This record gives sequence, C-alpha cells and structure tokens, in this order.
Amino acid sequence: MTTRPAEIFDLGYRGWEGQRTSRWRRRHAIWRDGVRISLGLGRGVGAKFASWVLIGLALVPMVVLVVISAFLSPAQEAADEFELPSYADYYDWALVPLSLFAAVVAPLLLCPDRRDGVLALYAARPITSTDYVGSLWTAFLTVCGAAAWLPVLVLFTWNALDASSPDSWLRDNWDIAPRSMGAAAAVAVPLTTLSLLAASFTKRRAYAAVATLAVLLVGSAVGGIAEDSFKGAVADVLSLASLSEVATDTVRWLFADEPQTPPRPGWATALWLAGVTLFMAVWLLQRTRQLVRE
Amino acid sequence: MALLRALNLTKSFGSTRALDGVTFEIPEGITGLLGSNGAGKTTSLKLFLGLIRPDGGSTEVLGQNPLASPEVRTRIGYAPERDCLPAEVSAAEFLAYMAEVSGLPRTPARLRASDLLRHVGLFEERYRPMGTYSTGMKQRVKLAQALVHDPLLAFLDEPTAGLDPIGRREMLELIRRVGREFGISIVISTHLMGDVERTCDSVVVLDAGRLLRTGVVSGLTQETEALEIDVVEGGAALLEALAARGLTARLDHNRLTMETVTGEEYDVIRDAIVASDALLYRLAPSRLALADVFSKPSDEDSETT
Repeated sequence: MTTRPAEIFDLGYRGWEGQRTSRWRRRHAIWRDGVRISLGLGRGVGAKFASWVLIGLALVPMVVLVVISAFLSPAQEAADEFELPSYADYYDWALVPLSLFAAVVAPLLLCPDRRDGVLALYAARPITSTDYVGSLWTAFLTVCGAAAWLPVLVLFTWNALDASSPDSWLRDNWDIAPRSMGAAAAVAVPLTTLSLLAASFTKRRAYAAVATLAVLLVGSAVGGIAEDSFKGAVADVLSLASLSEVATDTVRWLFADEPQTPPRPGWATALWLAGVTLFMAVWLLQRTRQLVRE
Repeated sequence: MALLRALNLTKSFGSTRALDGVTFEIPEGITGLLGSNGAGKTTSLKLFLGLIRPDGGSTEVLGQNPLASPEVRTRIGYAPERDCLPAEVSAAEFLAYMAEVSGLPRTPARLRASDLLRHVGLFEERYRPMGTYSTGMKQRVKLAQALVHDPLLAFLDEPTAGLDPIGRREMLELIRRVGREFGISIVISTHLMGDVERTCDSVVVLDAGRLLRTGVVSGLTQETEALEIDVVEGGAALLEALAARGLTARLDHNRLTMETVTGEEYDVIRDAIVASDALLYRLAPSRLALADVFSKPSDEDSETT
C-alpha cells in the first residue's frame, strides 16, 4: 500500500454557469422571506411571540367553541341551548386580534429594510420596486388571510361533520366556502395594505403600529359619532370612515347576513372597501418607488 | 470592449447639476470613478443601475439600456457606501437570500453564499448575526453580497470607507483579487486617489459633474526620465560625490533627484554612492503620482485656456 502526502486542492473562485431563475422565482424568494418574517420563523422566541399569540387569539376561541359544541353534542338538550356563532358574527371578534396582528407584525417586513439600508441592495437587484413591495404585500396577506380564514374553515368543517348527513349538508352549503374566502379577503386585504402603507412612512416599527391602530380607532370613533349624532345620508357617508365597520359590513353582505349599518346596500359597502384599499395600494407603490430611489 | 457607456449624460436635482453632459466609457478590468464629494460619482452609479432617469443623454450597461428592464442587473453587483446589512441576520443567510433575489436557484445560492464568505475571509463567522461584525467585516460582507450572484461587473461605492490602514490595504488587495482572479470587472467609486493608484487599471475623474480626465492609470502615472535616490543618511555627502563626478542632483530631505540620467551614468552614480558611504534606501525612476497628473492641466485644457 502506498501512502501519499495529504494535499489541499483550492478550487478557487467558481462562477455560476447554470441557468438563472425567472422574475417570478425572485418574487417568490421575497414572498417566502416575508412569510417567514410574518411568522417569526428562523428568528428568536421574541419575534415569534407577537405573531403566534395574535393569530392564536383569532383562531383559538373558535376552536374552543367547536370543542365545547362537540362535547355537548351527545346531550341533545344542552346542545340545543349552546349556539355556535355565525360565520359573519365571528369576524366581529376576530377583527380585533387580526388588526393588532397587522399593526404589530406587518411593519417588520418594511421598517427594518429601511432602517438598515437594505432597500439600496434590493434596488440593485433584477427586480422592480413593485416586485419588492408586491411580494411582501402578498406574503403578509397570505399569513393574515390564513389567520382570518382558518377559524371560519374550522366552523365550516365542524358544521359539516356535525350534520346528520355531511354529504347533503355540503351539497346545500357549498357556497359558504367561497363566501368565507371572500370574507377573509375583505378583512385581510385592507388590513395588510393599511399596515404596510403606515410602515412605508417610518423606519420605526412602533410608530407604524401606532399609526395603523390610530387610523382604525379614529375611523371607528368617527363612524360611531356619525351614527349617534346624524341621520340619513350624512350618517351613512360618515360611517364609511370606519374601516373596520366597513369590513365587517362587507363580510355580512358576503354571508348574506343583516348588515349592522342598515341603509347602505352591501355591494356599495364592498365597493367602497375595494376603492379605499386600491387607493392605499397605489399610495404604497408610489411610496416604495420613492424610497428605492433615495 | 466597453462594459459601460455614458453618452452626454446630464442629471440635476433641483437647482444642483449633479452631472453636466459627461461622456465616457469604462472598459473591462478595475476602474476607478474618482472625484471629490459632489463630483457626481454616486449619481453616475445610480444611472448605470437604472435607479434614476437621466435628464439628458443615455447610459449603456453590458450593451443594454438599464432603464428598459431590470434583467441586466442579474449580471451587475452593487455595494453601497452606506450601511446596508440587517443586524439580526447571519451573513450566510443574508447572502443566500440576496443570491436568490438576484436569480440563482435556492441550493446553489446557499453554496455560493458560503463560498463567497470563504473568499472574503468570513467563513468561520458566517453564522454570526451581522450586527456583531466590525466595520472591516461588514465591508467584506458588502463586497461578498455584490459578488454572490456571479456578476460580470460590480459597482463598489467607497469600499474602504471607515477602514483603518491595515483594513484598507486588505480590502484593496481583495478587490484586486476579485478583478484579477475572479474575472469580475469592478468599478470603484472613491475620492481617495491612493485607492485608485493601488488598485485600478483605468480611471474616470469627475469634478463638479464634469468629466475631468479618463484613461489608463499606468499611462497617466508613467515613468519620467528623472531618477530618485532615497538615502537613510549621507545625502549631502552623496550630493558632493556626484558633483565631483560631474553629475548634478537636487537634494530634498533624504531624496536626491537627478533629471535625465543616461545608461552610462548609472555606473558613476553607483561609484558615488560607494565613495560617499551614503546609506542607500531606494534608487528608482521617478513616477508621476495621480495627484500630480490631476494637479497639472491636461493638454486639452491647455489648448482651450
């Protein structure tokens, strides 16, 4: 057996001769990173805490209600007395933790990039500012939308399983699935857009969170005062200032429930919500373009 | 072959004219974009990256218009002057992500991130959060992220900013390696003439938005006919010994400068050094420094003034 002295082979610099990915894959990389940030994945416990607690607050009550209902099911009398919330009713509660989630977590996607100067590096990559902010928007919408939809999905699944004939129940109520997706979007899309827009104006996450909550709370206050102090068209128009109220009314319209603000047609509320969201989205795009150029 | 072309490039910010109709080309290799603050260096880089639109003129990068599509940036790297590294993320994770965003598939992106960090001397520290890095380490990460997607060309904006002399020397050496061994062309934007002299093959000099001079560094700093003799001690004795042999020199501190030395005179100079017991430190033809070049008006300037 011959023994050879050990040798070190330094391969030196090797270029990349493989194929480069499409712009969609690059957007996907940003989207994946955005989802990870939104959920605190790959980060410390502190980063996960806010995300998971607030998502839990939106989801867990529904799970608990369904579990209680499941336990009461065999006892017919108790089960009759216990009533699960309607799909639309649940959003009255879920909107609070979801708003907090958007206000607190969404700025994590934009503010650190601005604070640390990473935007300059994105600007030099083969993507546009629209790719960048669009991917982050989609990433947060994915998480926020899932958090908004999951509780309703749990309720829908339970209702199907609890029915005497799940097959026929599903045949009769299949339309709840697309309606619930629409409802989740009606809540998650404006919240995502608003919170990212607020984040695009500051490097500090806390300021962005306060700004988002301020818009929601001041809007609700204006809407509440309008309902108490005015009547007719004036009250109707002023009540549109409440983004959360408009969102829940849109959800009720989607589930064909009675709206809380009666005189306005449901489609008009939904249209207003879409318009406001679109306005915020365009503003967010312009703002990001401006930031990237700096 | 020219990698970059600026044609009659003009850009203003409000009433300030950052670039005033400059035209130049940047060839392969390492090029210095030299100028003082406000000369238009960063504006030029932004125009080449397609981040801003020129008010007049045009730019061409690797034969393409950078404003037409971001695709050209798959082959361009950029390291800005300002801080640009997230403090809580590790260098390995950050570089892999940047490589993906620049168009590399996920697995090669991770491999290249580690590889590049090895090349810049940060392999051992690659999993540490970048907030714990020193300024020198951060500058090296900035360089690595500019190269991680294997560009043909990388823009480095003030790459030695904030570095001590040793760190600066190491960084310039690293840049030379990237240019020579990696085969990646580099454009260094800097106000430090020494960095350009040590590192660059060619230079573009901007001043207040105008093109001052452009050319090959070795051409600009070519040898002159003068001879410099640096001594540790014994300069006056050597001056006398040279005069005794019929040679004229000028003594300035410990440096003797002789204009127009012919081949045979070198033997005489050698004998004079031996006879004078001067302690010789260096004997070499004089070279113009870039600073000398730019302090003199160019031929074109002379003609126009």
